[in-house]
Amino acid sequence: MKHMKSAFNRRRFLQGSAAGAGLLAAPAIISSKALASSGEVNFVGWAGYPVLTEKVFPAFEAATGIKVNFKELPDQDTMFAEGKVALETGGIDVMEPTIDRWGGWNSNGLLGAWDPAKLAMDNYLPGLADGSAGERSRDGDKLMYVPSNWGTEALVVNEAEAKLSSPPSLGDLFNPENPAVLRPHSTLAAMGRWLDAQGKLPRPWMDGYTDMAAMAELWDIALAEAIKAKGNVVQWWSGENEANAGFTANGATIGLCWDSTGFNLRNDGYKYIAPVEGAFAWHQGFVLMKNAKNVDQAHEFAKFVSTPEGSAMWATAFSSNPVGKGSAEFMSPDVAAYYNGTFDDAALAKLWWWPEQTAEFIAKRSEYADKYKAA
Amino acid sequence: MHDLIRRYGTGLTTLFCLLVAFWLLVLIILPNFSMLFESFFPYLPVADQGGPKDVFTLGNYEKILANPIETAWFGVPVTIPIHVNTFVDTVFFSALVTFMTLILAYPLAYFLAKVASPRSIPTLLLLLFIPMWVSEALRAFAWYIILTFNGPLNAALKALGIIDQSIRWQNGIVTSYDAIVIVLTYCYVLFMLFPIYTAITSLDTNQIEAAEDLGSPWWRTHWRVVIPHAKPGIASGCVMVFMLSAGSLLVPTVVGSTKANWFPQTIYTWFNDALDWNTGAAYSMIFLLVCIIFVILMMRLFKVKLSDIAR
Repeated sequence: MKHMKSAFNRRRFLQGSAAGAGLLAAPAIISSKALASSGEVNFVGWAGYPVLTEKVFPAFEAATGIKVNFKELPDQDTMFAEGKVALETGGIDVMEPTIDRWGGWNSNGLLGAWDPAKLAMDNYLPGLADGSAGERSRDGDKLMYVPSNWGTEALVVNEAEAKLSSPPSLGDLFNPENPAVLRPHSTLAAMGRWLDAQGKLPRPWMDGYTDMAAMAELWDIALAEAIKAKGNVVQWWSGENEANAGFTANGATIGLCWDSTGFNLRNDGYKYIAPVEGAFAWHQGFVLMKNAKNVDQAHEFAKFVSTPEGSAMWATAFSSNPVGKGSAEFMSPDVAAYYNGTFDDAALAKLWWWPEQTAEFIAKRSEYADKYKAA
Repeated sequence: MHDLIRRYGTGLTTLFCLLVAFWLLVLIILPNFSMLFESFFPYLPVADQGGPKDVFTLGNYEKILANPIETAWFGVPVTIPIHVNTFVDTVFFSALVTFMTLILAYPLAYFLAKVASPRSIPTLLLLLFIPMWVSEALRAFAWYIILTFNGPLNAALKALGIIDQSIRWQNGIVTSYDAIVIVLTYCYVLFMLFPIYTAITSLDTNQIEAAEDLGSPWWRTHWRVVIPHAKPGIASGCVMVFMLSAGSLLVPTVVGSTKANWFPQTIYTWFNDALDWNTGAAYSMIFLLVCIIFVILMMRLFKVKLSDIAR
């Protein structure tokens, strides 16, 4: 049966019910937005970074007079879900995914393009908004994504107890003597990259990100190896809290975690180490919703986070790295020292940027993560 | 209906009916109907929606039969699809939770209803209720802390000299679902207690005395007199605890071991990780349907009627 010909159109039905919900909520929307639409931006971003509301948004409001309505969500899958709903109901202007994910959001029709003339593209540090990252920020010649901060996912280790090879490697995560706190899908990628570095894969690990047949072939191998080594996993993490508790409460001595986890544990005998294969690196930034109402304010907002002071504040809030030129002097010395302790020039050169992952890839990736968890 | 109109007048009665209709239709029936509908269509990018690929399919339901893994049930090796395995585990351990809460709640309910002095009942009920005032999330997290490797349980057992090596309680001693069963039992035991308590309260104490006068030992009094009378309460408690446990997402996520997979987590993964709402909807429908069938079968088995529960 062809969908278009059916008497009862499913999409129409959904649009109808969404419109109905919007109608019910209309009084609330009109009364709060009608008067104030000149000076606000609706931003959906990451939960768990209180400095944003304490310092960054007030500073932005002081500088531009634009109020930020902030909605916090725990991860970008939830953000995507929220954005999908907002396609029908509106109410979101800007969201903050990572560079590898906006492609999937765009193919789902969520995003509009930024206007570079309203931004200050010269503000960005070299390599973050130009070069290959610049290409990955664009859909054809439309700029879909501008960076806000960047960071890494690498080894958090208990300095006294973790057994590390020399130099430390992703393989240390699979050493049976190291109780580990991991998240399933990153771990499979780590296994793949580790096997790849030893030449144990039939083809390069990167092939899996562009070719689904290669993905199945490579991830099957990584899954089988990871299951063999699963005995040392003491806890899964999916957010900051669980990762932290994995070390402190469950006694893990090694983990593949975000830099913020390592930063928070830096005074408790833990160290953040870039593996010899290169740390996983992510790049996070702003996307403009297709149905954004406050477009100019959204541009002001993104521009503010590219200024020396704004980018430093944003990076400090995430305990990560700033995207703006001249931001170093505004960074907290604590954060700067922590980063320099992990990344020298050689480690920076080896950073492994998460490749773009399509919706199909992510669905398949979840199946592998499920199998790994259940084994 | 006539009673309602006589008591509250036409205006209020209409309002009641409209509110109930809104609740049922807009908040329960329509969302479920829309989910059922979505579950028969493939997950497509917005651009392809309504296009030639957007056709009726059972593919989302078939996915639960993909990806076979090898595992063992009670030591017998079996090969079954991974999500079916998760499903069977969830139903089995939810039934176990139901059984555990029943074992805990029945004696307590009997004590409250027939043994404790009426003056102490309010205090006892209050004591039982106090933990319910704390949110389920906090209670689950408290159990997480208790069971962790560096947690108070290990510390206390070591201090008492009972164990000398810390134990990973969270990863399970008997099965990898130990922690989930413990915490779910803790969270939902009151849902079992109160229906049974209410049922036993309505039993005439003279019947128990008569049984004793006629020489019935205590266990037979329970078997032949109290339990048959409490059966509707037991049945509704069981249904509630089973459905709540099987549908719990929070507890398995917080305290689950590295090997445990709870079916609601699988559904959550489809919605939030894979972003495939259609397959998520299909899985939700399968889950709802099979759980309802399971409950009906159990009710048949124990000869409980739906009207008993609603009483």
